[in-house]
Amino acid sequence: MSKTMAEKVLSKKSGTDVSAGDLIITPVDLVFAHDGTMPLAIQQMKFGLSKRSVFDPNKVVGVCDHASPSPSEKVSNVHSFMRKFALENNLQFFENGDGICHQIVLERFTAPWKVIIGADSHTCTHGAFGAFATGMGSTDVAAIMTYGKTWLRVPESFKVEITGQLPKHVYSKDVILHIIGEITADGATYMSMEFLGNTVDKMSLASRLTMCNMAIEAGAKTGLCEADEKVREFLESYGRGKEYAPLVPDKNAAYADEIIIEAEKLEPMVAFPHKVDNVAPVTQFEDVELDMVCIGTCTNGRIEDLRVAAQIVKGKKVAEGTRLIVYPASRDVLLQAIREGIIETFLRSGASIGAPGCGFCIGRIIALGDGEVALSTQNRNFRGRMGNDKAEIYLCSPATAAASAITGRITDPRGV
Amino acid sequence: MDKIKGTVLRVFPKDVNTDEIISGKYKYDELDIKKLAIHAFVAIDPKFCEDAKKVKNPILIASENFGCGSSREQAPLVIKTCDISCIIAESFARIFYRNGFNIGMPLIECRDISNKVSQGDGLEIDFSAGTIRNLTKNETYKFKPIPEFMQKLLDAGGLMPYLKKSGGFTE
Repeated sequence: MSKTMAEKVLSKKSGTDVSAGDLIITPVDLVFAHDGTMPLAIQQMKFGLSKRSVFDPNKVVGVCDHASPSPSEKVSNVHSFMRKFALENNLQFFENGDGICHQIVLERFTAPWKVIIGADSHTCTHGAFGAFATGMGSTDVAAIMTYGKTWLRVPESFKVEITGQLPKHVYSKDVILHIIGEITADGATYMSMEFLGNTVDKMSLASRLTMCNMAIEAGAKTGLCEADEKVREFLESYGRGKEYAPLVPDKNAAYADEIIIEAEKLEPMVAFPHKVDNVAPVTQFEDVELDMVCIGTCTNGRIEDLRVAAQIVKGKKVAEGTRLIVYPASRDVLLQAIREGIIETFLRSGASIGAPGCGFCIGRIIALGDGEVALSTQNRNFRGRMGNDKAEIYLCSPATAAASAITGRITDPRGV
Repeated sequence: MDKIKGTVLRVFPKDVNTDEIISGKYKYDELDIKKLAIHAFVAIDPKFCEDAKKVKNPILIASENFGCGSSREQAPLVIKTCDISCIIAESFARIFYRNGFNIGMPLIECRDISNKVSQGDGLEIDFSAGTIRNLTKNETYKFKPIPEFMQKLLDAGGLMPYLKKSGGFTE
């Protein structure tokens, strides 16, 4: 029978011929958690299962990224608890400032055909490599850390066919915001979104990662792209070329739903408060004044994103009354940005640079003031997301963010 | 678990997200779930936890896509810690749904429920019959059967006791 990419990966991994709707027990190639979810997973292992050791220390990753570098003694104590467990188990452990869990995992571990489970909803990001990757809670992750397996229902798939050339200053972030606006926050609930079409073929791996990252914002279990030469090149750059294997869906694979996107017709998009599916073209918001502009996160904190933003701010100054904050997604991204002069460009423009990590996105390191308005390249604009439920958050691409930082209000990057 | 008899504490609208259930600004500081639970729903419903204590077997009702957003298991945990006996929604976000059963909290999907019941209604949920009886309005609603595996988790009291008993994942 013809299969979707999700069905192919899960069939191979579970060793049975599966299709949508089947319940399977599958081995997990990599499991990870962060400072917001791993402590609870450790507690569940200890108190729920009376277990203290993980099934394979090479396949378990812990990252201090969400409240990092630790801003308080309470958070430091939580980090210590996690660090102690990591040391006892000889886990792959990443410290305050190493970067965001997804960026670290995709640089070092993600490869096509792997099953990757993370205690973070944006684990769907890794599908851009052709891995089956999904987020789960701490208890599920505790079970995987202990037994190396999990149960999954093989998802139906939602085909997203994107064709044509993206106009100048329209990026994959605008595409995914447009899609979420169209299908809404639960439009793909429980499904695997498979991003196909010649626009996706031409996209960089970083652009595909941005789309897969936000599949969860439409309720999806994962987002998948074909594994092609761009994946192989990335893996080779990290000395992991041998882990490459191509992945494509079968021609007559069965999809539960389908949407066709014509890239030429798209414009820069914005998601307005307080839901990700409140989406409209940037031109509708050009009178919105901004207190803070944020560039970074697991959605748009990669070198490609920083390059686009730096090109726009180069030689200019951030508007008076507006703060520009940049958080590279990982240590490697920050190092590359330093080598390319991108960090200097940001600093000279008046931006502040944060230590690689989740930074502003979850409101634990940086918080907005009452009534303040932020524009961010992150994936969620929920009320209170950035530490203050009396603040407002708009979402956009790095180009729109950079153009807006210079003017101090939401600005169409096509006009800069 | 066969039957739950309780009172509707709240009827929430669609797309209530996990940041609204328990904000990120609290959850990184606290490993004690009882201390975290006092912050449940503070941004959208600050009296939630306090009011839950005034009702016997409080039941939560929601429209579609309840619990969307992050994977934080603290979301269903703080709700459970506020003594909510059961959540009935028109639909749940996937990770929240899984997390709920993993911690042994029943989640029921029932069409149009947020339009049918009101705050304060008395409900009797019959799990084997798959029905919700509204004792205040004298109506009965059928709900979607709980998937077999989720029922096993509920019977065991959650994923951890289930795995402890079975000694791991068995095919």
